[in-house]
Amino acid sequence: MRPNLLDVENVNKIFTRGGLVSRRVNHAVNDVSFSLAADKPEVFTIIGESGSGKTTLAGMILNSVAPTTGRILFQGRDLREIRSRGARLDFMSHVQAIFQNPFDAFNPLKRVDRYLFSAAQRFTECRTPKASAERADEALHKVGLSLAEVQGRYPHEMSGGQLQRVAIARALVSNPSLIVADEPVSMIDASLRMTVINLFKKLRDELGVSIIYITHDLATAYYISDRLIIMQKGRVVEGGDARTVLAAPQHPYSIKLRQAVLSVDDAWRDDRVGAGVPAVAT
Amino acid sequence: MIAELRAIPSPDELNAPQTSPLLTVDRLKAYYKVKLFGVDREVRAVDDISLAINRNEIYGLAGESSSGKSSLIKTIAGAIRPPLRVVEGSVRFAFKDGERDIYRLSPQELSAIRWSRLSYIMQGSMSVLNPVRRIRHAFEDFALPHVSAKGADFTRLVERHLKRLHLDPAVLQAYPHELSGGMRQRVTIALATVCNPEFIIADEPTTALDVIVQKGVLSMIREIQQEFGSSVLFVTHDMAVHANLTDRLGIMYAGRLVEEGRTRDVFKKPLHPYTAHLISSLPRIGDEAPKKALEGSPPSLADPPPGCRFHPRCPFAIEICRREAPPMVEILPGHRTACHVAQADPARVRTVA
Amino acid sequence: MNTLRILRDLLRYNGEFAIGLVLVLIVAAIALCSFFSPYPPMDVYVVPPDIPPSWEHPLGTTSRGQDVFWQLTFAIRNTLLFGIVVAFLSRIISLAVGLISGYKGGWVDRILMSINDTFVVVPLFPILVLFYFIMRDEMTWAMLAIITALLGWAYDARLIRSIAMSLRTREFTRQAVFSGMSTGKIVLQEHLPFVLPIVFSTTMNNINWSIGIEVTLSVLGFTDINTPTIGGMIYWANQHTALVSGIWWWVTFPVLLVIMLFIGLFLLAISMNEYIDPRSRLSRLGGQA
Repeated sequence: MRPNLLDVENVNKIFTRGGLVSRRVNHAVNDVSFSLAADKPEVFTIIGESGSGKTTLAGMILNSVAPTTGRILFQGRDLREIRSRGARLDFMSHVQAIFQNPFDAFNPLKRVDRYLFSAAQRFTECRTPKASAERADEALHKVGLSLAEVQGRYPHEMSGGQLQRVAIARALVSNPSLIVADEPVSMIDASLRMTVINLFKKLRDELGVSIIYITHDLATAYYISDRLIIMQKGRVVEGGDARTVLAAPQHPYSIKLRQAVLSVDDAWRDDRVGAGVPAVAT
Repeated sequence: MIAELRAIPSPDELNAPQTSPLLTVDRLKAYYKVKLFGVDREVRAVDDISLAINRNEIYGLAGESSSGKSSLIKTIAGAIRPPLRVVEGSVRFAFKDGERDIYRLSPQELSAIRWSRLSYIMQGSMSVLNPVRRIRHAFEDFALPHVSAKGADFTRLVERHLKRLHLDPAVLQAYPHELSGGMRQRVTIALATVCNPEFIIADEPTTALDVIVQKGVLSMIREIQQEFGSSVLFVTHDMAVHANLTDRLGIMYAGRLVEEGRTRDVFKKPLHPYTAHLISSLPRIGDEAPKKALEGSPPSLADPPPGCRFHPRCPFAIEICRREAPPMVEILPGHRTACHVAQADPARVRTVA
Repeated sequence: MNTLRILRDLLRYNGEFAIGLVLVLIVAAIALCSFFSPYPPMDVYVVPPDIPPSWEHPLGTTSRGQDVFWQLTFAIRNTLLFGIVVAFLSRIISLAVGLISGYKGGWVDRILMSINDTFVVVPLFPILVLFYFIMRDEMTWAMLAIITALLGWAYDARLIRSIAMSLRTREFTRQAVFSGMSTGKIVLQEHLPFVLPIVFSTTMNNINWSIGIEVTLSVLGFTDINTPTIGGMIYWANQHTALVSGIWWWVTFPVLLVIMLFIGLFLLAISMNEYIDPRSRLSRLGGQA
């Protein structure tokens, strides 16, 4: 039997701060487990607010943070075994990352295409500049751009939506099987946000890439995810099929989170003339 | 629900003769003029904007980054620093004790109306609160020069204000880092409103907050507005917040106001294609229909396209849009838009939703 | 072309830069004159001694029978070269230590920074004097430059490290890591441009600092006094009690020239720093910092 794409097994991460006298312990991730199947690409969403440990969890999946206890397996291989530079490059060619702020995700003094070419040279068989350029162009076409539009341009010459698409193309250069995206649309303007969100759907459906989508926004989570977990203070409080969980959350925290979402459709439901001014609802 | 708190004009109010608005912005143009090593650059951040904000309402301002909304509120607050310059137009406040043109005021007059008449709630509470001083000092620093009460009277006044906003007066003794993010933002709101200002500018006050505390902060702003009868200019890019809080809504695109009307009308019957897209593309829980994305990117304000600035991305663009900038025209009662297509046929744009 | 345009713009719009450049160019021109000197620098009694400034000897002659002007051309050339060599060597060390320490963090950072802090607290002057007494005749000009460079990098390495540390947390660094770039590539190509403004302005200051060290040591005679330098000239003037016997031109002109160089380099440092600052550079490119 083929091993799972990703197994997160009872993972804990504890940060300690301070000296000998006043030691403060922060249990950032507390006993989290989940798996992604190898043959069924999906959008798996991690929902949490600030301090929920979702970004630390993402760091552990990307092998940039080591878990305190528990283990993470990618295609059956423990991430702890990945030590050498060669093994790291091989891992990164399969598991890629997309970051939060597209305006900070590219060096402002450098042209954006250098990241695409670097990825092509390090992760694929492309050895000549021409082969790398073709590979980069191919990846850019998957996100609705082309190398001609991107080559030689600096980050400040592009919009947030374009930059985030270039970042996704950069992640796609090595044909990864898993992409971890940490709050990828929270810094993008509303009129450009849907371009990026729809792109994730396309990656899953047409390229068979699994995506771990990390967000605090329940509405976009509902729109694109297949399964989700909700995290609070390092623990998973609820998880399962995205539509089911968000339609009828069970855990008190999930219910609170669901109720806090401002709905556009319900905004005028109680808007009756003569309703008066009631006390503040909380 | 915050919606329950929405100011609903009673029939009497609607029939009453319209009093003069509290804030009138007239044909305002504010540009960034930068001279870098001999090369002049001009960024038209606010380009010919006229709007009026009435007493006792929450006026929402929506727009993306670099739509000019932060430059607009800076000019309204009189916080203009070079390279931002007002090129044309005026910003007039009709306060209870007299009318004031914000650019005719001396710096002393301006600082006299700040906090007492005109107040500002910012996105990051930490930029207002000094991290090494207790909250009490922040109240003393900001509000003491503007009230007649001194000493124990002042403390009583602040405590009464906090109680009115359902905050425990014990927060006065706390340091900013001892409070949660939501509580800190409530304290900065209390700080901005302690002098009962007539006009409050709220610049993305909930953007940095977690979802769960956001709603409480929004209700607090609505409640203050109702209790003091002040006007609020509420700026955020989050359309869901506008839907739930504001009475009237203005939409900015590339330095211009493109649509304005009662919030409900704007959401139910958007007249400008850009607004229509913003509303239809909002993901909603329970709605699985695929959402369409808008092609293209917002234009650069240093080099905006001719004619209507939205035309390169507009699905309805016609010949005239490429040549002439549409004027802001009232199409339905109290509902204005700057769109050639909507002005010809108001029903046309709605079909996009 | 681009560099030329930058230079032209700086000259036209930045007064400090123009003055600084003129001062440094004058000093450099004097140093270049040494190649056309009619007298070999080491020879003594080639001209009549103790002549005040005149048409024939514009800056006068020394008690050792040397022409002050031509002697000065050699002295300033060697002193300037000393400053540049020290600054160049110590920039390389502080860049390497600062960038790697800031980017790598962890135990690499701890080790490099403890070495760094040792060099910060080591008393510089006694060490240099000690070296002179140990090495005596082997203490050549080049040796002194290397020792001064080894002692002069630590402050700036800390400065560079603090910038590199903040760059490490930026998202574009993670983007570079996930593009498969190696540590060397990230440090040299992604982070170095952000550090360069600091390096430029500290280079000027470091040249000033090392010239100061060299002059002080030479005046006291703790260097190879046979190589003509500004400090060496003042040393010989003192040996001949020049000020007491009224040979003021032997001391005044070297001092004036080195002050000119100091002010020129300082003005260049501050004006270039303003220009190369990534934020103002970005706003020139049309972006936002």
